[in-house]
Amino acid sequence: MKIKVIIGEENLNQEIPEGCTVQDLLKKMEIPSETVVVKKNEFIIIEEELIQEGDTIEIIKVIYGG
Amino acid sequence: MNSCTKCGNTHIIIKRKHSGQSLCKECFLESINEKVLKNTRKYNLIEKGDKVLMALSGGKDSVVALNILNSLKERNIINLTALTIDEGIKGYREEGIKIAIENARKLGVEHKIVSFKEYLGISLDDMMAKNDQVRHACTYCGVFRRWILNRVAQEEEATKIATGHNLDDETQSILMNYLEGNINNLVRIGPKTEAPDRRFTIKIKPLREIPEKEVGLYAVAADLKVHLASCPYAGASFRWEIGSFIKELSINHPTIMYSTLRGFEKIKTALKKEVTIKGNLGVCKRCGEPAADDLCKACTFLKDWDVK
Ligand code: SF4
Ligand SMILES: [Zn+2]
Ligand SMILES: [Zn+2]
Repeated sequence: MKIKVIIGEENLNQEIPEGCTVQDLLKKMEIPSETVVVKKNEFIIIEEELIQEGDTIEIIKVIYGG
Repeated sequence: MNSCTKCGNTHIIIKRKHSGQSLCKECFLESINEKVLKNTRKYNLIEKGDKVLMALSGGKDSVVALNILNSLKERNIINLTALTIDEGIKGYREEGIKIAIENARKLGVEHKIVSFKEYLGISLDDMMAKNDQVRHACTYCGVFRRWILNRVAQEEEATKIATGHNLDDETQSILMNYLEGNINNLVRIGPKTEAPDRRFTIKIKPLREIPEKEVGLYAVAADLKVHLASCPYAGASFRWEIGSFIKELSINHPTIMYSTLRGFEKIKTALKKEVTIKGNLGVCKRCGEPAADDLCKACTFLKDWDVK
C-alpha cells in the first residue's frame, strides 16, 4: 500500500506491506527510533501504531549529535 | 488496548519503557512540567526572588527549559532573562538566533544576544580558520561560552544561570569523566554548581532528569518552535561516542540512564570527602575572571590568536 512520508523538507512516497507499524517503517528507512518523534496525519503516535493506506507520516528528527 | 495511565484517553503519545506508563499529550506535558518543578524544589535550584539568566540557544533543550521556567516568572517567583550567544558559526547559528528571538518574544521574556566577536574579538569560524591547534572546535566553543555566560551573568547581576542540560547530557558527563579518570571534574557534576565564590554565578540544570528524547517530544507536543539542525563542527568527539553508546544501551535497558545518575549521586558524597577540591581561586591576570592559575582557561586559549 501507498503512504506519504515527510522528513524535514522531503516528501516521499513509500510502498509498505499490510500490517506495517511505525517501528517497521523506521527500521526499513534505517532511522534510529530513539532520535525521532513521529506524527500520523498530524497527531503524535507511538512506535507500535499501525500505518494504513493513504496515511501521511511525518518523521521529526529531534536528536542530533553534538 | 493502549490508553493513558492517568486519564484513560486512548490517544497516547508515549509509552515509558522505564516505568510502564502510557500518557496522552496533555498528561505527558503535565508530567514533565511537574517533574521539572518538583526537582527544582527538591534540589533547591531556585529561590524566590532569584534573577535567572537562561542560556537560550534556540535548540529544543533550552527552549523547553525556558518555557517551564517561564511559569515561575508568571507566578512572580523569579525574574527571567534569556541570553543567546552567537559563536559565529556560519550557516548554522543564524537560524538558532532567529528561533531564540521568537521564543523569548512569544513569552515576553527579556532577551540579550551577545557574540564571540564582541566579547572575545574573534568568531568561532575565524578561530577555526586560523587554527593550527589540534583541539576540537567544541573545546573552544564550550570554554568561551562558559566564560561569556559567567561574565554576562555578573553584568546582569543574575543570581542563577540556567542551562538546558538533559538526562542524556548528564549521564554522558558522568561516564566520560569516569572513563577518563577525571575524578576532580566528576565530583563537580550535579543539578546545581557550588560556586566557589561570588565571582561565579551558580549554574542550575532544570531538565537534568528528563531524557533527551522526552525533551524532544515535549517540544513537538507543545508545538514549540525549536532549532533542529546539526552544527557543522559536531562530529565524532569522545562525548558523541559515549552518547551513542548509552543511547544504544538504553534500547534494551530503559532504566540505564536513571541508574547511572542515581548510582553516581550515591558515591558522590563519599568521593567528595576523598577528592580535595582546589582551594581558593585567584584572578586571571588578563581578564579578571576567577582562575586557578595566572590565566583562566579562556585566556590561555585566546593567546593562541592574540586578539584583543
Ligand atoms: S557542536 Fe561544538 S562547535 Fe557546535 S555549537 Fe556545539 S559545542 Fe559549539
Ligand atoms: Zn491522559
Ligand atoms: Zn582570563
